[in-house]
Amino acid sequence: MGAAPGARVRNAGPGARRRRYLAAIGVVPFLAYVVFFLVVPAASVMLQAFRDNNGGLSFSNLSTVLSSQQPWLHSYAVSLELSAVSAVVAAIIGLVGTVALVSSPSPLARRLVTTACGVLANTGGVPLAFAFIATIGNAGVATHVLAEMGFDPYDHGFTLYSFTGLVIVYLYFLLPLVILLMLPPVEALRREWREAAATLGASPRTYWRKVGLPVLTPPLIATLMVLFMDAFAAYATAEALTTGSVPLVPIEIGALLAGNVVSNQANLGDALGFGMIVIVAAAGVLYVLVQRKTSRWLR
Amino acid sequence: MKRTRTFRWVVLGLIGFYVLAPMAASLQFSLEAGYQGRLSFTAYSQAVAEPGLAASLITSVKVAAGAMGITLVLLVPTVILVNLRFPRWRTVVDAVSLLPLGVPAVVIVLGVLGVYRSLPNIITGTPVILALVYVVLAMPYSYRAIDSGVRSLDLHTLVDASRSMGAGWGKLFSRVLLPNMRSGILAAAFLTVALSLGEYAIASIMGFMTFPVWLVSVEGNNPYVAVALSIAALLVTWILLVAIALIGSGRRRGSTGFGVGLVDAVDEAETAAAAPTPDRVS
Repeated sequence: MGAAPGARVRNAGPGARRRRYLAAIGVVPFLAYVVFFLVVPAASVMLQAFRDNNGGLSFSNLSTVLSSQQPWLHSYAVSLELSAVSAVVAAIIGLVGTVALVSSPSPLARRLVTTACGVLANTGGVPLAFAFIATIGNAGVATHVLAEMGFDPYDHGFTLYSFTGLVIVYLYFLLPLVILLMLPPVEALRREWREAAATLGASPRTYWRKVGLPVLTPPLIATLMVLFMDAFAAYATAEALTTGSVPLVPIEIGALLAGNVVSNQANLGDALGFGMIVIVAAAGVLYVLVQRKTSRWLR
Repeated sequence: MKRTRTFRWVVLGLIGFYVLAPMAASLQFSLEAGYQGRLSFTAYSQAVAEPGLAASLITSVKVAAGAMGITLVLLVPTVILVNLRFPRWRTVVDAVSLLPLGVPAVVIVLGVLGVYRSLPNIITGTPVILALVYVVLAMPYSYRAIDSGVRSLDLHTLVDASRSMGAGWGKLFSRVLLPNMRSGILAAAFLTVALSLGEYAIASIMGFMTFPVWLVSVEGNNPYVAVALSIAALLVTWILLVAIALIGSGRRRGSTGFGVGLVDAVDEAETAAAAPTPDRVS
């Protein structure tokens, strides 16, 4: 610290401590708000997950969720698979895109791209789903064009309102996120490393296999975690696109809450939500662990 | 060299196509409105006449304004206070502001409905609850926007100079601090508004007719109207987000702007995690 020593000296004295306590009260509204609208609700979900209809401690909700006779385990599998597949596909395409971007070192182009990516990464939800319906939905413009060319994708087993469709739409906001997250580490790859590798007789492929990718692995894993969490929690796009035909955990929870699905276990939704918290938390922890490694490498 | 250039343009071209095609197709779709080959603004004029549009827009705008108001009243004083008096707590408060990233929106609804069902109906039975919850959803981004605005100031000098010239705390706040934090405050406000206008999950589960919820209800009957309005909604969001990026870049050189939201937050999380000492020289 050491900033503004004058202020320090003036504050010293018997009144200073009281003023400090008074000032500390100023932080209370913020913390109280977070407790009230985030911590308490989240804690309630975690507690309710372990309570039966009469409020007694019980694992019945969780065992229902985990039971193979029930549909819930399957929706976890679909949710996990969707998030993992979207994240991996986005990371691969995005990494290639980032490498392609970095090779054009115009600062204006870079700013344009990062701004566009920032905007697109936050584009999601209902309007995005509808834009894709207008494009390759069963009455979409691109579907129509392809059908006139003699290849109607809907005659060949493709449908936008499916797992594949969701991956295609999710890429729209995941790809820009990859570029934003991977641009700094890819830019940090030193030209000297590539030159040194070339001098020692390495082909570009060997360079990427032995130098580039190993260095980029930690930030890439961190990026995968961010993508995974983003896709895993997404609700609006999936709901607007598939209206529940692909069983995803958030959508199942929404249906339970809205009363569209009836269960005789009052806290089943909380048990499903508890599972989501656990999965997101695991991805978050992995992110932080990998991120520490990254910061050490690319400096 | 030539091969790298071809590679670059092929890759960027494909990604660019993927980004632009849905937008171009949506525009075409909304202008054709079902009449193959004939273009008209029918879908747009129908959209404006659609009953329920005005009501849902008013609800959404009210919620967004409410969330923005609460965000600023709650966060601006907190950020100033933490930076001025408790720089040691900065990491903690920072981490707290990131917490919403770890809780999916659906889980927040679950919890809020479970805990606050018993609250007076004026809070949970009206869109007021949406505004209250959106403040939390936007917090990882809005907090960071305001915080980096404050950090770019020499807070102690500003405060000491104003105080020594006889300014009271009120005047210091309104005449010195707020004008200097303008860009951070604007970015936080825009971010909160953009998020509030687009949020669907919580509003639809709780059964409030905000604009996105209404949009979904219209799609079944008239997809052309829904797509026309989606384009309008995307444009509004993009304008807000580009404005945020421009505001941000005016102040922080080399920054990617606030449009990145999550990335900014993640960046901060990383620095927070990497730096055990709270008082880094920034």
